[in-house]
Amino acid sequence: MESKPRWLLIALAVATLVLASLALSACGDDDEESTADEPAVEVEQFPADTTMGRIQEAGEMNIGVKFDVPPFGFNNPQSGEVEGFDVDLGRYIAERLGVEPVFREANSDNRIPLLVDGTIDMILSTMTITEERDLEIDFSEPYYVANGDVLVPTGSDIQALEDLSGNRVCTALGSTYQETIKQEVPDADLRLVDLYSQCLELIQTDAVDAVSTDNVILTGMVIQDDTLELLGLNFTEEPYGAGIPDGDTEFKEFVDESIQEYIDDGTWEENYEKWVGQYIEEDQQQGPPEITLEEALKLFPFEQ
Amino acid sequence: MSELWGVLEEHLPEFSSGLWVTFRLVAASLLIAIVVGTLVAAMRVAPAKWLNRLGGVYVETFRNIPLLVLLIIMFAGIRRGGLLIDPWVAAIASLGLYTAAYIAEALRSGVFAVGKGQIDAALSLGLTYPRTMRRIVLPQAFRTVIPALSSLVIAMIKNSAIVGASLVALPDLLKQARQVQADTFQTGEVFFWAAVGYLLLTVTATIAFRYLEQTYAIKR
Repeated sequence: MESKPRWLLIALAVATLVLASLALSACGDDDEESTADEPAVEVEQFPADTTMGRIQEAGEMNIGVKFDVPPFGFNNPQSGEVEGFDVDLGRYIAERLGVEPVFREANSDNRIPLLVDGTIDMILSTMTITEERDLEIDFSEPYYVANGDVLVPTGSDIQALEDLSGNRVCTALGSTYQETIKQEVPDADLRLVDLYSQCLELIQTDAVDAVSTDNVILTGMVIQDDTLELLGLNFTEEPYGAGIPDGDTEFKEFVDESIQEYIDDGTWEENYEKWVGQYIEEDQQQGPPEITLEEALKLFPFEQ
Repeated sequence: MSELWGVLEEHLPEFSSGLWVTFRLVAASLLIAIVVGTLVAAMRVAPAKWLNRLGGVYVETFRNIPLLVLLIIMFAGIRRGGLLIDPWVAAIASLGLYTAAYIAEALRSGVFAVGKGQIDAALSLGLTYPRTMRRIVLPQAFRTVIPALSSLVIAMIKNSAIVGASLVALPDLLKQARQVQADTFQTGEVFFWAAVGYLLLTVTATIAFRYLEQTYAIKR
């Protein structure tokens, strides 16, 4: 009688050990892979007391990107990897440090806390530069300029921003649109979700009447579902900046330099065409941002 | 400290509307949970085998699906199926039916605590089975399980927070708190008040159950 539960315990312990070792060996494989394809490019070594030096010491740079926003940051189900415009920029910056980029999911609601608590070193997550956010973190120079737009099912009665009044509008919690829509169309019935992919689910199942956010994010949704259409309203200008820990001027300089180089050496154009340009009309296409950080900050002033 | 009060003062409308949504959600779900839970418990102890099985299937289904998955199926799944279910209906049904499975199990254990002799006696006196249940067994079962029900209701109040964080996106207390947090970045202060809001509900529930216990519990 007594030996039975003991056997069970031993079996459980063995099973746990086997599982744990499997999990560990899986991690081990990852590490090997990442050291194998180290870039051959010569990189500048930074002093250990700078953020760049600390990242180089660690050998990896944690970058917060979106996982559900094609074409900027999304988990490609075919390759199983995160891809997109933001991801490519992150890879470029990590390469300049000679480290491996590690992409972590950072959505509109949690990205700033993740940066502040040091879980990630930098945010590249379709983040509009605003003065309010600038109080918590620092921004790089703009690396992309998106425009505010509205997505509706084809044939919808909603054709202008005012038409959102009385209608259910989906946007992400913590995004600039939460405020913009509240100000521009106070009677809109805002539905705030964590992820833009949830907005897509909601508009596909008729649980909301419209989705409002950056046109590039909405374009990604139209690519996935062609029964939806963009209104082309362009009612806001949303310059994206990389998020950098507050007061880290050396790191900001490094990121600004990297972005400038990214634009100057033509990589920006190349990736724009790859992720955005090919999906939109030629007259809608744009070049690298001409707006400066200072001008960008004035677009979304902090009011209290 | 002054910041703590400042956040509450400035965002009181958001917090109170969130608390009100959470309260209505919990109240409606509790009603469903108690009615359905009692019915299922009665099925599980009924003399008919097929009723036992049906009750068992219910309990195992709803108890073994994570609440978040249940919510997604109830809302997005049903809407995809063509029935345009309202977010409120989806949320109340999910939370209610989920909790009902636990309440049914608690009640079943309460029924077993009532001596079998009492059921035999009632039946031999000519009472029908449903009448025996309603008049003899369930009143005693409810009394025995009041402490267990109290825990389940508190768990349900806290589980309700999943609704606001899910696709359903009802503006409940947690959702409102997160919205204020996104506006102000005052994470600690905002969630302190959200916690106070949930405490208000759970403490009220605890006091109500303590009263029920004192009034109806079997004196020992």
